[in-house]
Amino acid sequence: MQNSSRLALYHYWVAFAAFLPAVVLGAWQMLMRSPLPAPLDDSNAYYASVTLHGSVMAYVVTTFFAMGFGYAVTATSLERPIRGVAAAWIGFVICLIGTAMVAVIVLAGRASVLYTFYPPLLASAWYYLGAFLLIGGSMIWVVVMIYNMAAWKRDNPGKPVPLPMFAITATALLWAWAASGVIIELLGVLLPGAFGLTTQIDAGLARTLFSVTLHAIVYFWLMPAYIAFYTLVPQAAGGRLYSDTMGRLTFIMFLVFSLPVGMHHLFEDPEHGAGLKFIQSFLTFFVALPTLLTVFSICASLEIAGRARGGRGLLGWIAALPWNEPMVLAVGLSLVMLGLGGFGGLINMSYAMNGMIHNTSWVTAHFHLIFGGAVVIMYFAIAYEMWPRITGKPLRSKALACVQLWLWFAGMMITTVPWHITGLMGQPRRVAVFDYSDPFVASMGPLVIVSVIGGAILLVSAILLIVILVRSQLGERRLEAPLRYALALNPPKTVPASLNGFALWNAVLLVLKLFAYGYPIGQFFVLKSKVPTYEVVQPSTIVGAR
Amino acid sequence: MKGAHGSSRLHNPWPTIGWGMLAGVVAVSGVLGFGVLSRYQQNAPTLGLWNAICRGLGISADTTPSTEAQPALRTPTRIAWTTATLERIASGNAQHGSFIAMNCTACHGNGGVSVQTQFPTLAGMDAAVIYKQLDDYRSGKRISQVMGAMAQALSGEDSADVAAYFAARPGGLPALSGYRIPESGRSLRESDPGKRLVYAGDPQRGIPPCSACHGPGGFKLGAPALQEQHAAYIERQLGEFAQGSRQNDIFEQMRAIAKELTPEEMHALGAFYGTRNSQPAVALAPP
Repeated sequence: MQNSSRLALYHYWVAFAAFLPAVVLGAWQMLMRSPLPAPLDDSNAYYASVTLHGSVMAYVVTTFFAMGFGYAVTATSLERPIRGVAAAWIGFVICLIGTAMVAVIVLAGRASVLYTFYPPLLASAWYYLGAFLLIGGSMIWVVVMIYNMAAWKRDNPGKPVPLPMFAITATALLWAWAASGVIIELLGVLLPGAFGLTTQIDAGLARTLFSVTLHAIVYFWLMPAYIAFYTLVPQAAGGRLYSDTMGRLTFIMFLVFSLPVGMHHLFEDPEHGAGLKFIQSFLTFFVALPTLLTVFSICASLEIAGRARGGRGLLGWIAALPWNEPMVLAVGLSLVMLGLGGFGGLINMSYAMNGMIHNTSWVTAHFHLIFGGAVVIMYFAIAYEMWPRITGKPLRSKALACVQLWLWFAGMMITTVPWHITGLMGQPRRVAVFDYSDPFVASMGPLVIVSVIGGAILLVSAILLIVILVRSQLGERRLEAPLRYALALNPPKTVPASLNGFALWNAVLLVLKLFAYGYPIGQFFVLKSKVPTYEVVQPSTIVGAR
Repeated sequence: MKGAHGSSRLHNPWPTIGWGMLAGVVAVSGVLGFGVLSRYQQNAPTLGLWNAICRGLGISADTTPSTEAQPALRTPTRIAWTTATLERIASGNAQHGSFIAMNCTACHGNGGVSVQTQFPTLAGMDAAVIYKQLDDYRSGKRISQVMGAMAQALSGEDSADVAAYFAARPGGLPALSGYRIPESGRSLRESDPGKRLVYAGDPQRGIPPCSACHGPGGFKLGAPALQEQHAAYIERQLGEFAQGSRQNDIFEQMRAIAKELTPEEMHALGAFYGTRNSQPAVALAPP
């Protein structure tokens, strides 16, 4: 178990060590695009910064956090050491090398292509190679998760897989399916272009392949938070999980419905027909099902806890909940942000309404509220919950942890609410400098300044997070209770095979994906839609040297 | 993953539910997407089912050639950045190019390092840029009596060769580099008009930053690097774009930008990029 714990801890450390500088970059970016003077006001620096902030937050922090969480969950929920620890360490090192490559190349100014790296923009090949190592290395984690679940089922025939393990395996499968898009894009389109092996690049194909990843990755980020909702929150609140089956169904639905929906990021793209876009818009609405199921399930679980703690009346149970527990506070704040962000998401995914906000700062605000807010605040709570169990050193101050969570919530709301509004006013996203001497742009100025203040609060909160974790790590070792997961109100003795494994759902997903993406990707092998790489990263004559 | 042995004996309705829901979702979204949404159009007749399916896929069912009269074609250049063009440029033979380049030294200097401000330095210029300009002179898309005659004497292959030769010459324009050390004052707040236009452009006049295509830091296909080029040459080209006497920019972007610039700004841009030690028009400088 010792080795499993260290594995989880190292992953968490990398995630949070990368997190803080990325927040600093984010706060500077808010300043840079505002009417206020910013240090180092260079638009190239802005795009490099956005690239690094996005790459770190979207790929490094999340992947390392999910991997660490997966190892911790495997060891604790199956109550036995992880199988394949050596492979897991190899995966860790590969991901770390990839991360370092990405960071160095972006800081050198050779890859200001933003984390979505849409061609015909082209970055240094080493950036793509770094991203490939990071994402490819995490596939080792996927295999380790699936292997551990399968091995446990072999050793415990007929028993239901513990919900946390079932859910983390769903996460691993989701990530494997999701990453297939970007991995094929990197290997098939971007790397050959960046190495000068091809002079033309198919931007439409690359964007479509990336869209396979682009929305499902969001659910990959979300999954650790949802796992905490189902398995840690009821326990921390002192209650029980409302329904184990509902949990299983939620994670199965996330696996199936988060994948064939990515084209809603391409609603304004010319390379796909209206019917195909509508199909994916329609499918996107199904993702709301597991989310609504979760909100219901968690509220029910919290009500069970609140009433067990003596809460009375229609809403009295809410006040009776232990709000000084970081996990309980985090889930409350998370659900508020998830609710607001979710309603914004309904606009993004609606084929007709998307046009109003497409490529405006509304989109940036939306995913900051959902991911940076609702999800990341749960990452914090998970860290506060798991750190003491892994290190045996308790948190120094739960009150300080709660202050940190409140600050993050306040900062995120203050940042994203005005950001949504400027998006509705038409402010484009991904723009380094706005001309505030233009009266129309100037009218957005005050709102942007409010966002800057929110960004500063977020920075303070991020620093506080690291302070709390480091203080705990440096504290003295005391025996801590092992991590316990919430029991269901009616713990399952047996579950149907289809709710205890993923064979059926992988098959369903494959058919659904072929339906949604078969023609959109297949068409590029018939169309002649390649364009020359736009960016000159090396003199034309060197291309001829081959 | 195989189903667990014990639980498989349990009643398992989920395959039926899973496949049934899948079939339902596919059928409903397919019918709505292709059979309904794609049929109805604003201000146009409703399409038949076959046309609607094609429209839903993003293709046209109509494969007959257009009967409408096409407008006369007027292009700013004959060059398109196709694979064939890029491969032809890349296959340039610098050694053969060095023989051709002997015709160029009188104006463009020894080895392409021009010492006269009316002639651009060619040494170190990207081969694609030189190739395109030679073709534009040859086809009359860029007008110059001397260069028109020069270029007409060259084949496309000769152009690629001489482009490869000059691109590899040292001592002229600095090598293309994506590096740009961040520096303060490269935003709209900058008071120096040249520096502001180079790094931030002017959004209200629709002017993008020059540095996005011409460096320093970023280079786009077909756009020459301007650092160390003659200031007077840059300024004169901006004037020619503004007046429309030079029209060989593929998307008219340089004409659109230059029209918005004041003469003072053109001068400031030339001064910003231009080499500091270029001498004003020394006639017949020794090679």
